[in-house]
Amino acid sequence: MVELTLNFAQILVNSVITGSVFLLASLGLSLTYGLLKFPNVAHAEFFTFGAYMAITFGEFWKLGFALGAVGGFFASGLLGLAAYVTIFRPLTRRGASLIHMTVASVGLGLALRFSIQQVWGRQIILFKEEFGKFDIGPVRLTDLWVTIIIAAIVLGIGFHLLLSRTKLGKAIRATADNPVLAMASGINTEKILVIVWFLGSGLAGVGGVFKGADARIAPIMGFEVIITAFAVVILGGIGSFYGTVVASYILGFAENLGVVALFYLDLTIEYRTAVSFIILVAVILLKPEGLAQIQLRAIKRNSTA
Amino acid sequence: MNRKILGISTNAAAGLAVVLLIVGAAVGYYVGLSAAPAPPPPPPMLPDVIKIGVMQPFSGPLGSLGPEITRGAKLAAYLVNQTGGIGGRMIQLVIEDSPADAAKAVDAAKKLVEVDGVKVIIGPATSREVLAIAKYVNDRQVVLISDSATSPRISTDFPDDYVFRSVGSDAGQAAAVAALLELKGYTRAVVVVVADDYGLGIGNKLKQIAPTRVAGLIAFDSGKGDYRAELQQVQALNPDVIFYAGFVQDLNVMFKQALALGLEKIPTIGAEGLKTTDFFNAAQYGREVGDYMFKSGMIGIGTHIATDTLAYKHFAEQHKKVFGVDPGLFADTTFDATMLAIGAIARAGVYEGPAVRKALIDVSQTYAGPSGPKNLDINGDPPQDYDVWAVVQKQDTYDIAIIGFWSAGGGIKLNP
Repeated sequence: MVELTLNFAQILVNSVITGSVFLLASLGLSLTYGLLKFPNVAHAEFFTFGAYMAITFGEFWKLGFALGAVGGFFASGLLGLAAYVTIFRPLTRRGASLIHMTVASVGLGLALRFSIQQVWGRQIILFKEEFGKFDIGPVRLTDLWVTIIIAAIVLGIGFHLLLSRTKLGKAIRATADNPVLAMASGINTEKILVIVWFLGSGLAGVGGVFKGADARIAPIMGFEVIITAFAVVILGGIGSFYGTVVASYILGFAENLGVVALFYLDLTIEYRTAVSFIILVAVILLKPEGLAQIQLRAIKRNSTA
Repeated sequence: MNRKILGISTNAAAGLAVVLLIVGAAVGYYVGLSAAPAPPPPPPMLPDVIKIGVMQPFSGPLGSLGPEITRGAKLAAYLVNQTGGIGGRMIQLVIEDSPADAAKAVDAAKKLVEVDGVKVIIGPATSREVLAIAKYVNDRQVVLISDSATSPRISTDFPDDYVFRSVGSDAGQAAAVAALLELKGYTRAVVVVVADDYGLGIGNKLKQIAPTRVAGLIAFDSGKGDYRAELQQVQALNPDVIFYAGFVQDLNVMFKQALALGLEKIPTIGAEGLKTTDFFNAAQYGREVGDYMFKSGMIGIGTHIATDTLAYKHFAEQHKKVFGVDPGLFADTTFDATMLAIGAIARAGVYEGPAVRKALIDVSQTYAGPSGPKNLDINGDPPQDYDVWAVVQKQDTYDIAIIGFWSAGGGIKLNP
């Protein structure tokens, strides 16, 4: 047995940070999956692109980290929007099947990844920004981690308010539920799709900025996170905002606590990605519709009771 | 009495017998001399052009190193050919790309052996490639001399065979690190190594040499780009020192994250791969990577290169003259590997694996090149000395300073 001194408070904080990045990375994926009914593999590259644009704005052009991050959001948002308008929308209108759309997104993803590699190079890049570091009791925090957590909270509350309190949110929910019916009820579904693609891709870009600042920037960084993002989307239930929030943090905790379990089992922590996949496989086998449906059923049960 | 035999006096007959005996013995001796110790050596059977294979990385993660490593081999061949090759037979290098990838290394080795018919290969650069092709070269009786693969497994998995190297085994480096742990009195070292034959080689060797001083071994994947979980495990093991073995492209990310997690309070020791000022390239990586190394008081072990020897000065001079640049990483060990190979071929007199292999061990015993003495041991490894280095402040950045020396015989000595 290995003798371990575990700092559970720190593990908790690490889990929240990991979960927050997962949330940013997967929300757009889940929403576009829900709206257009196909998994956009190129979403990984929106994540990467945000990070590269942020370091370009923030450090190469010396605008600072905050402006860089905002730039990353808009750059990825516009890239996602462009991908929708020039590729996925025409394909949908021509009645492309799920396979066509998926293959198109794989192709777009590869094209983007290698273009990024061409422009910024294969070499990894580190943010030179030095974030303040401080200890609260046994927990180490940095300004960046606090920013990541706050950004995720703001996103969570903001999106909740958007969906529940605004007309736009209602329209988004309606379009996701049944686009034909939504259109028939006078909702401009096209406008909804454009907004969702922009926001979803932009958020992925911000996720990339945070991940890049926390670790490093490389052309492959989006690919590294996309499988976990899919796990989040499926666990949360495709197209479900609340499901995505819960699933992001479940996987964030699973990864970090999984590492602890692996210590005790004296296994290499390389297995920790497997933790996400085991959860994913279990969900597909047991609850293929994800957390959202569990929640829905519970609500239905309550309302019928 | 004067008896006569055949009309010759007895005295004269005895004298004649003695003379005949002496002449006979002398003739017999000379005849015996030329015939007795086996037939005369066969005349040199070397081909007109002696093709030596070179496998180095020209693409992949180490792609930038290939050209500078290969210059060492090119210089050796050039210098020998300039003075007439081996008895008029010219050396021709057949250079293949081996991009630090096991499968591609096998392809490159097969091409050199089957298509070009080489009997000697210089390289490949990494331990994983050497281990991948070791069985093949042994089966085909092709001599392999790696210039930079340092995994102890190359000696332990393939001890007495066709696999040699002109660089020391990390078994020596592990011993030097163990000596450093002992000198500083550390008893809970956590070993953080890149999960490949190099990292696991040195990590496991250190665990084996100093079991009571190592609290745990953590292997990390190269190229992953996020090492928070690994560092979390390091913290959980509550170490009194962290020993890192890996390369700048992964460790820069890890060190930045280590500083974010507050790990700079734990002292650190670095392996050979960390003895580079690349870590302090603030324009590329920011300052925090170097900050972590300095604040954690990093010391380390690195190959001792005696650049003040005549052999090195001559080598560096020729290198500059021929290529117009100073020798790069491993150019000296590649030069020595190639020189040893050429010397062995010349001594063998035939270009055949078994003969060259035998001759190589012989020639190496008296060979000392720019990278030091190369008297190969039974496992095909040369001796290796190590420097002890430390990260020091230099104006507004950091630098590596040599603070001591380790040798197999003399142990560790820190400069006063």
